[in-house]
Amino acid sequence: MNASMINSIMQTLALIELSITCAVVCIWMLQKLSPNPLPFAVKIFLILLIGNILFWPLGMDLPLVAYVRGITGDLSIVLSLLLWSSLLPSHKPAPIAFKFAVVIIALCFYPLALGFEMIDPYAWGYGSIVFLAAVLFFALVCGLTNWNKGVWIIAMAIIAWAAHWHESANLWDYLLDPFLAIWAICACIGVLYGRKRDKARSGYLFRPG
Amino acid sequence: MSRVMALCFLLLAAVIGFLHIDSRPVWAPFAVTPIQAEEALDESVTTKNKALVKSSVATPQTNWLPDTGAPSVHAASLMTLNDGAVRAFWFAGTREGAADVSIYSSVYDTKSANWSAPTVVMDRISAEKGLSRYVAKLGNPVPARLPDGRLQLFFVTVSIGGWAGSSISSIISDDEGITWSNPQRLISSPLLNLSTLVKSPSIAFTDGLMGVPAYHEWIGRFGEFLRVDAGRVIDKRRMSSGRNAIQPLVYVNDTQDATAYFRQTRSAGLPKKIPVSHTQNAGQTWQQSEDLAIANPNSAVSGMALKSGARILVLNNIENGRYRLVMLMSDPKVGQWQMIEVLEDDEALPDAQRKEFSYPYLITVDGNDAHLVYTWDRKKIRHRYFSGPWLKQAFAKLQVEAQVQTQEISPTRQEAQ
Repeated sequence: MNASMINSIMQTLALIELSITCAVVCIWMLQKLSPNPLPFAVKIFLILLIGNILFWPLGMDLPLVAYVRGITGDLSIVLSLLLWSSLLPSHKPAPIAFKFAVVIIALCFYPLALGFEMIDPYAWGYGSIVFLAAVLFFALVCGLTNWNKGVWIIAMAIIAWAAHWHESANLWDYLLDPFLAIWAICACIGVLYGRKRDKARSGYLFRPG
Repeated sequence: MSRVMALCFLLLAAVIGFLHIDSRPVWAPFAVTPIQAEEALDESVTTKNKALVKSSVATPQTNWLPDTGAPSVHAASLMTLNDGAVRAFWFAGTREGAADVSIYSSVYDTKSANWSAPTVVMDRISAEKGLSRYVAKLGNPVPARLPDGRLQLFFVTVSIGGWAGSSISSIISDDEGITWSNPQRLISSPLLNLSTLVKSPSIAFTDGLMGVPAYHEWIGRFGEFLRVDAGRVIDKRRMSSGRNAIQPLVYVNDTQDATAYFRQTRSAGLPKKIPVSHTQNAGQTWQQSEDLAIANPNSAVSGMALKSGARILVLNNIENGRYRLVMLMSDPKVGQWQMIEVLEDDEALPDAQRKEFSYPYLITVDGNDAHLVYTWDRKKIRHRYFSGPWLKQAFAKLQVEAQVQTQEISPTRQEAQ
């Protein structure tokens, strides 16, 4: 199998992966609009339906998912697996500590990676043992705090990076992307807002009359 | 139990990850072309140089890259082919950034001094099919020679927005640019892989990998040195930071030492000079240093080194506009840049009539001569050829002037003592 054929297969796999992810996002939005939880079988049916609509060109020059990929590129393995796992019946949301950690990392990482200073943390992702050790430590903490799904997801991201699953050779691209950061920021803002609201409500209830 | 399984899987990932890092190539030194036997600047050489300066040599040749029929052309680049011919690449379309822009190529026969009919190397549709993603426009073709002899062409594609949204892709040719492989995307930025572009020639490492001087021009405007293994970025290092410098041009001084000159992109009020960065460990770390005292109006610079050690730089040496293009030469032992040829100059014309001369690109075929291409008023690409004897004469003149200056300074010093 020559390099050109491998490249072609990897491009197709990347499109399948993104089609599934886009389908999951569509289902997540449907779920938000629906008053009742969607059955697992319905979710699988919708994944197959929407995924196929996105993946096949349907008479156009490019499949719909290629337009999405033109803008987003390949999403991180962590975001993809978090989204995919949200369909499982036993799904539990990611702990807020994880989301908070993602926010802190993203807020430090992106300005530096985009040229704010000469230090470039993105370059560590190509082959820094210290960076890999830090990622493993982060996963270990996830495990010790009983979030095993996080351990599986980070481990799979590391293996995908070592196997050159995506076009990138940088571990950061398998762990973090802007959409994951935005999701974590929104989730943290939601939690803070919820706590503030609860506090206000409890203040109202127990206010002396 | 599930935690134990998860941690065992993490251990497996850790082993695979460490093995992957361990298998990466170590950072190799720059591959350096030896400079021709250095001659001391003694009396006999000075006499020889003075004779050379007075001798007559053929003036540089000028012609045009072939017309593609498109009204707008830009960003030409060159590559020497194995038979000594020169292949040019450039983009052309209804306007820069239009959907119909394609990358064209043509071959210059050095014997007949003619360019072949242009052929399309890459268009938007081929790019998006090969890359499996939507592509809105193409630009900046920059060729390189792989260590196995194949030709590689880097170019940028944009899916959304302006050039700041560019990503680099590359194609490879086994037959000197007649046919090309499917494009491959290079990933070099963590934010949706946005905003990495190429303009200048690559640098070879001794292990066969390539150093590609690239740049960002979106949130930050800075240079980056990509370490590329065929179609994949395997490392990168920052050459500058902030919003001041793009389009790095790298001069390799020795196996570890190199200097990069940039196109300045500073805001109004800041110096319009050429930003400089320096590395002393083959590009692993770069330090920003003092500007090169040559005016730059936020336009690309091009340069190269000859076998003799002489360095050439082509740029717009004005602070505003791109209406003058000049060629400078430097003897690295002396370090001063001197103008050797005014290539284009519309200074005498009113502002409205001044043309744009920009995006120069230089190569040498035999190490002594120079082929230059540049955008001529966005309508054509001009090609200029400077023969070895002509450049040798210019270099000799430079050395004679340097010798005269040294002699003038020496008696003054002796008198002072």
